[in-house]
Amino acid sequence: MSQLRPVLLVEDSPNDIELTLAALEKSRLANPVVVARDGVEALDMLFRRGNSPDEAPQLPAVVLLDIKLPRMDGLEVLEEMRREARTRNVPVVMLTSSREEQDLIKSYGLGVNAFVVKPVGHREFFEAIRDIGAFWAVLNEPPPDHAGSGNPGEGT
Amino acid sequence: MPLDHADRPADPTVGCEREPIHIPGSIQPHGHLLAFGAEDLQLLHASAASEAVLATDLAVAFGEPIERVLPNDWVKVLRPKLRGLPSVGPMQLGRFRATSGAAFQAVGHRSPDGQVVLELEVEGDDEGPEARSTLEALYPGVRDAYARLGRVATPELLAATTAAAVRRITGFDRVLVYRFEDNWDGTVIAEDRNERLPSYLGLRFPASDIPAQARRLYELNPQRLIADAGYSPVTILQAEDGPPLDLTFSSLRSVSPVHLEYMRNMGTPASMSVSVIRGDGRLWGLVSCHHATPRRVSFAARNACDLVAQMFAVRIAAREEMAHAEARARLKGLEGRLLARMAEAKHFVDGLMAVPRDLLELTGAEGAAVLTEGACVLTGRTPPEAEVRRIAAWLAERGMEEVLESGALSELLPSAEAIADTASGLLAVSISKLHPSFVLWFRPELVRTVKWGGDPRKPADPTPSRLHPRRSFAAWAETVRQRSAPWSAAEVEAARDLRTAIVGGVLRAAEERAELTGRLERVNKELAAFSYSVSHDLRAPFRHIVGFSEMLREREGERLTDRGRRYLTTVIEAAENAGRLVDALLNFSQMGRTSLVPVGFDPAALLAEVRRALEPEQGGRPIEWRVSPMPLIHADPAMLRQVFQNLLSNAVKYTRGRDPAVVEIGCETAEKEFVFHVKDNGVGFEMAYAHKLFGVFQRLHRAEEFEGVGIGLANAQRIIERHGGRIWAEGSPGKGAVFSFSLPRPDAVTGESI
Repeated sequence: MSQLRPVLLVEDSPNDIELTLAALEKSRLANPVVVARDGVEALDMLFRRGNSPDEAPQLPAVVLLDIKLPRMDGLEVLEEMRREARTRNVPVVMLTSSREEQDLIKSYGLGVNAFVVKPVGHREFFEAIRDIGAFWAVLNEPPPDHAGSGNPGEGT
Repeated sequence: MPLDHADRPADPTVGCEREPIHIPGSIQPHGHLLAFGAEDLQLLHASAASEAVLATDLAVAFGEPIERVLPNDWVKVLRPKLRGLPSVGPMQLGRFRATSGAAFQAVGHRSPDGQVVLELEVEGDDEGPEARSTLEALYPGVRDAYARLGRVATPELLAATTAAAVRRITGFDRVLVYRFEDNWDGTVIAEDRNERLPSYLGLRFPASDIPAQARRLYELNPQRLIADAGYSPVTILQAEDGPPLDLTFSSLRSVSPVHLEYMRNMGTPASMSVSVIRGDGRLWGLVSCHHATPRRVSFAARNACDLVAQMFAVRIAAREEMAHAEARARLKGLEGRLLARMAEAKHFVDGLMAVPRDLLELTGAEGAAVLTEGACVLTGRTPPEAEVRRIAAWLAERGMEEVLESGALSELLPSAEAIADTASGLLAVSISKLHPSFVLWFRPELVRTVKWGGDPRKPADPTPSRLHPRRSFAAWAETVRQRSAPWSAAEVEAARDLRTAIVGGVLRAAEERAELTGRLERVNKELAAFSYSVSHDLRAPFRHIVGFSEMLREREGERLTDRGRRYLTTVIEAAENAGRLVDALLNFSQMGRTSLVPVGFDPAALLAEVRRALEPEQGGRPIEWRVSPMPLIHADPAMLRQVFQNLLSNAVKYTRGRDPAVVEIGCETAEKEFVFHVKDNGVGFEMAYAHKLFGVFQRLHRAEEFEGVGIGLANAQRIIERHGGRIWAEGSPGKGAVFSFSLPRPDAVTGESI
C-alpha cells in the first residue's frame, strides 16, 4: 500500500463542505480529502475521466455522498458506481439532510454501505463525521483496486 | 291435452302475411266500381259488370270523360261531388236509380294512388228514402249508444254496451268486441248475439288469424263488409296495362279467398268489422259482426257503427289512461319513498332494502334482488341466490338494454323453467354500464287456461301452393304454464324511473368519490413534496447556523465578551431547537406515510428497553415503576416503541419533584381489545384541556417548566389510530394523569396466542 487512500466528499453546499472539512480535520483523520461539487464531477474523479486524469490515482477509502446534487444526484452516482466493476466495492456513505424513507429505501436498494442523516446539533454532527472517518477510512479494510472486476456477481 | 307454447308448430298461414290484399283486382258483386283520373275525370278502371249502369259500352268507355260514361242526370250531381272529395275517407254522394230500376248508394273516395273512385252499392231492402237506414233514422241509436257508454266505466261494460249498440243498428246475429293482445292474438271481451250463432265470448284467436297487412288495412280503413262469403268476385278492368287499382279505402273490395274460406268454415257468410283505433292511430281492436245468412248493411249504418266504435275507443282510451295515470301516481309515491331512503342510506342497496314491501309493490312483484359489485341481496319470493346470479350473468352476457320485461322468462332463458314457481316473470333494470349490476323483480307462475277459438295448431297444408285456414272453431282449452301475470306499462315505467334515479345517484356518488380520491392524492403528493423540501432545505440552514456558531465559539470564543458568548449560546440553542421542531414535524408526517409492519411480540421487553433509555431523563431521581404482566400483542414494534417512549417520557417528566414518583403500567384484556394504561402521580392537567393534549405542538405547560416540542402525543395518537385503536387521557391538576390506549385483539378467543 503506497499511501493513504483519500476520502471523497461529494457535496454542493459550501457551508456543508466547510463544516464537514472542519469536522474531519478535528477528528485528525490522516487521509487526504477530495471534494467533488456535483455527481458528474464525482464520477469523473472516480473513473479518471475529464481533464484531470491524475487527480485521483487511487480509489477512495470511502465516498461521503450527498443526495441532492446539481446535474446528477447522489442516487444516480451510487447507481453508476455499483454498475461499474471498478467502483462496485468502494464503500459509500450517504451523508444527507434527507429524512425521506424513500431515499433510504432506494439507497439501500442500490447497495449503499451506510446512511447518515446529518444531525442539527454541532457536537452530534462532529461526532458523526469523526465516527464515519474513523470507521471507513481507518478501521475498515478496503477492497484492493479492481477487486470487483473479476467478480461481478458478488455484493458488498 | 295441454299444449306448451314452445311446441307450437310454425304458423302455416304465414303466407297470408305476404298476400297483397289491398290490390285484389276485383270487387264483391253487390255493386259497381268506377275509377276516374283526378284531373279530367276520364274513366281508368271499371268493374266488369258496371256496363249495367253506364251510358255507353264499357269497351269504348275507357279514357272517356265522365260525361260520356254515365247518364247525364247522374253526371250533373256526381261531377261536382267527385271533384270536391276530401283527400282522405269515403263520402256518401247520393242515391241513384239505373234504367233497369235498380237503386244504388253512391260512395266516393280518393284512392292512395290519386284516382277518384266511385262505388255504387246495390241498395238493400232496408234502404231507400223511407227505410230505417237513413242518417235521420240512425241518429237515435247513435245517441242512445253515446248515452249508454257515458254511464259505464269498466272496459268489459264499455265493450258490451258497444256490441249491443252495433247490433241494434245493424241487426247482425252476433256482434263481438275483439281486443288485440300485445302479441296480436285477439280476445273476445264482449258479445251481443241471438241464438243463430254460437258464443265466442272469452275465446282467444291467434295473431295469424288477422295477419299484419290486414291489421294495417284496418287502421287505414276502419270499415269492412263482406255481404256474402259465397260470392264470385267481379274483376276490375282497365284500358291499358298499368298498376292495379289500390282498393285500400274501397268498401266493395274483394277479400282474400283464404278469408272467405275461413268465414265459410266459421259458418258466417256475412261479416262486417269496424276498427277501434287508439288515439295514437294504432289498432286497439275490432267490433266484429257476423250473420248466419248473407247480409248487406248500408253505408249510413256502417258509418253509424264507425261512430259508435270511435266513441268506444275514446272512452276506453280515457279509461286506460286514467288507470295508467292512477297507477303511475301511486307508484311515483312509492318511488319517492324509495329514493328518500336511498338518499339517506350509505349505499343505495341498503335504502332499497330498508322497506322491502315498497320495492316489491313498485312493480307488483313477489320477489326482488339487487346485484351490485359481487353482492346479491334478495327479498320476498325469489329463486335461490345461485339461480338469481345465473339470471344476472345471462342478462350481462346478452347485453340487455336498460329494461327487460318478460311474462315468460323460460321462453328467453330455457333454464328458468325450473324456477317457474318464483320467476316465471322477470322485470330487470341494468344499473351500471361498467359492472353487471341489476335490480330484478320476480313474479311466480300463474297457471291459466286459455280458451282458443279452435285449435290454434292449424294442420300443416299438404299443398303448399294454397293456404287453408283452419276449419274448426270449437272452443279448445289450453293450459298455459311458465307464465306470470303480465307487467303493466305503469310497472315497467316505474322500474325504468327507479333505474334512472339509481344510475344518477350511483354515478354521482362514484364521480364524487373519484374526485375526492383525486384531490386527496394531489394533497398527499403536495404534502410529500413539502416534507421533502422541508427535510432538505429547512434543516440545512439550521445545521449551518449551529455549526458555524459553534465553530465561532470554539475558535474565536476568547475574543468575545461574556455577553457575546451568551448571545452565541442562545443562537445555537434556538437554532438547535428549531432543527428539532423540523425533525419532529417530519417524523410526524412520516408516521402517517410509512407502512405498518405488525408482528406478534411481548411488550414487556419493549417497556424495559424504553425505561432503560429514559434513565438519563430521570436525572438520578428515584421512580417507583409498577408494571403488571403484559399479554402478547400484534403491532409494529418500532411504532409502538415510540408510543411507550412518549407516554413513559411524559410520566417521568411530569413527576419531577414528586417523592416518591410512582408510574404504573398495566393492561386489561377486554372482549375485543387490549387496553393499556400509563398512570403517574405527577402534575396532571385540567380535564378541560384534555382534547388539546393530542394536537400537534400543543402544550399545557410553559416551556420553562417542562421541555419538549409538544408533538409526542400527536405521534402516539397517529400510531395507535393506524393500529385501529384509540388513545385518551384522564387527569386532574396536582393529582397525576392516566394515559390509556387500546389495541384490537388479533383473535377474539384468547389474548394469549397471536
